[in-house]
Amino acid sequence: MSDIDYKDRGSILKPLKSLSFFGRSPVTEKIEPRAASANYRGFHVNDWTKCVGCSTCQKVCDNAAITMVRIPGLEADPIKGIRDERPAIDYGRCCWCGLCVDICPTGSLALSREYVHTCTEDQLSSYFVLPDPNGMHGVAYDKGWAKTADADLIDLERQDMHELPAEQRIGNFSEMVLGYDDQQALLEASRCVQCGMCHDACPTHMHAPQYIRAIWEGKMEEAVRWIYETNPFAHICGRVCTRRCEDACSIGHRGEPIAIRWLKRYAMDAVPHERVKQIALANKVDTPTGKRIAVIGGGPAGLTAAFDLAKLGHGVTVFEAQDQPGGMTRYGIPEYRLPYDRIDRDIDVIRSAGVDIRCNVRIGQDTPLDTLRAEYDAVLLAIGLQEGRQTRIPNSQNDKVFRAVDLLAKITANEPFEVPHCAVVIGGGNVAMDIARSLARLQKQQYGHVNVVITALEEQQHFLADPDEIKEALEEGIVIRDQCGPQGCEIDASGKLIGLKTWKVISIFDENKRFAPRYDEAGETIHVCDTVIEAIGQSAETSLLGSELTESLAWDRGRLKVDEDGRTSEPWLWTAGDCVNGPDVVHAVADGHRCAASIHAVLTNSEQT
Amino acid sequence: MSEQEGTPHGIDRLRGKTTLKEILEVATSFEATARDFYTELIPQVSKRIRYLVVELAEEEQRHYDLFGGLAKHVDIEEQIKAEIDRPASDSKFSDCLHLPDLGENPDDQAVLQYAMGREHTAMTHYSELAETTPEGPIKDLFRYLASEETKHKLELEKLYYEIVYRGGGV
Repeated sequence: MSDIDYKDRGSILKPLKSLSFFGRSPVTEKIEPRAASANYRGFHVNDWTKCVGCSTCQKVCDNAAITMVRIPGLEADPIKGIRDERPAIDYGRCCWCGLCVDICPTGSLALSREYVHTCTEDQLSSYFVLPDPNGMHGVAYDKGWAKTADADLIDLERQDMHELPAEQRIGNFSEMVLGYDDQQALLEASRCVQCGMCHDACPTHMHAPQYIRAIWEGKMEEAVRWIYETNPFAHICGRVCTRRCEDACSIGHRGEPIAIRWLKRYAMDAVPHERVKQIALANKVDTPTGKRIAVIGGGPAGLTAAFDLAKLGHGVTVFEAQDQPGGMTRYGIPEYRLPYDRIDRDIDVIRSAGVDIRCNVRIGQDTPLDTLRAEYDAVLLAIGLQEGRQTRIPNSQNDKVFRAVDLLAKITANEPFEVPHCAVVIGGGNVAMDIARSLARLQKQQYGHVNVVITALEEQQHFLADPDEIKEALEEGIVIRDQCGPQGCEIDASGKLIGLKTWKVISIFDENKRFAPRYDEAGETIHVCDTVIEAIGQSAETSLLGSELTESLAWDRGRLKVDEDGRTSEPWLWTAGDCVNGPDVVHAVADGHRCAASIHAVLTNSEQT
Repeated sequence: MSEQEGTPHGIDRLRGKTTLKEILEVATSFEATARDFYTELIPQVSKRIRYLVVELAEEEQRHYDLFGGLAKHVDIEEQIKAEIDRPASDSKFSDCLHLPDLGENPDDQAVLQYAMGREHTAMTHYSELAETTPEGPIKDLFRYLASEETKHKLELEKLYYEIVYRGGGV
């Protein structure tokens, strides 16, 4: 091969030929940015209207690429299960696995089809992004990898709870809920994403994620230990808790919330009682403090405080007016929902901590309150709401008109009373359901039929009662007539009760959502019956305070005024539970803890008295 | 207790009223009666529910001041001697000048029931006066009075339901 003659300059016209190329069409093709595939895992998008800040995405991310960032101004409401946080993604760590999308309980997170981001060295922080629905660069891209039924890691359906069918339960007071078996408990526990929304919503901040995980791991004693960290009414709350936790459960946004109450029940039933006692008392202080505390009322608030204080080494005496401790859990909740032996177990644990419970002692009658003040270092008033409110409608003073709480207490105490052949209950709350269902059982036992009608101001879907209670009452043959406002009891010429007159309720709340029923007189109904039971509000019986102390105490619109720790204006007196805070067992437990901590702090001089 | 309360003399006075001036006088007396009744009740009820009676006394004082001021209003001054038909509610209204015996230590429910009944009677009374009075400033006045009593009655009803039916208070 000969060498190229580089010195050959070619034709003199060669420059013109080169110039001619400028006039030609280009041979290269212009390429637009290529669209990503339909399932592409590009940058995240997050629908903030769906996101509740549960942090499940953060917990599932093995690369620790997700940080929850608090956003001032966003709604935060633990009761609704909403946090004012949103996930931020570090794209220096993210591997676009998509697990955060697959596990997102609400379905707010998705990956988009956007995949290009470049920056200069001083803009590296731009790889840390708070995704929103608008995309990383404010340009809307279609969703790529998003929640689908196939890829969803959330199990939306809870394990069914076995219950006695209505025909088997109506003639007796046997417990109707049968509890989970091992397999059901495992499957139900495995649905939990450990977001902790339940913990935030629970009045006593139970460690539900921890005990659910322990159940899932098969470690029942550890589950019991977690339960007893915050709740000595473990069996009771495992059966009748109002379960604010489940209302806040993040799984509940698209499916059925985790059955947290039933899992607690399962764990408590799975561990032998003697072992439960050992676990519950593991951290009890051995050295007595020499301080003595009197607790008035042996319900959830009083006994929780007593348990805490006894574990801290204080001498605690509980004075209970009834024959047995437990308060409304024993004398207000029927046995078919809460068997007495489970109440006894919880109370046995509390007694084992050294709490002296003295029943049949009515402070103010048997023992003056002043005596307690003189003999004890602190007094806790936890008297609950034992008095049933009365409608005081015309003829309601008839001797066949009863208060629900009185009848429920009679049933627990096994005191005889004439079971009505046909009863009408006034009220739409859980107490109304409890008395209606209890009377239905007694009617079935004695007369072979059920004839109970519940009348309430609200529409059925707005009853205060638990929806399960309403459903079960209907299954048991109880008739519900909603939007009925009681106007008077009907009596015949001899004074015998023959019915309840109601008017149709046309609206129940005013424009400010205040309770203000309005009636239509034309919608008058006479509900024929031989007995009327009032199951409306309840109040505390505070005569034990005496007139002098009542005068010296500060009050706040009908309730004792307390500070944030439950201490009244009298430095020796605290109060807790339904009588100040209401309205259920778990709130009372939380209140009991709060007061116990305050009393302990004061008595050990760690707080200025 | 004010000088007219619950006495036959006070009721007789009411029955004789046929002019706006006198109706306003009785209305003012009606509020004064209630105010004094609640004021005297304050130390008789438990401190637990005293807030309720104090609020009722304050509200009646507010109405007393309002009604007293209305009688001196310039628009009313010219109409003050106008004759007014006595409404059917007159007797019920005058009945409220009789004060009830709520017992030694009435509870919140008893106090509220009495207060609501009283407001209802006043509301009915002014509404009927408004209906039977020709259009004009006097009719407007009765409408206004009826509206004031209605608002107070509705407020008391809400409080009643919150306390009795929803577990408010102890």
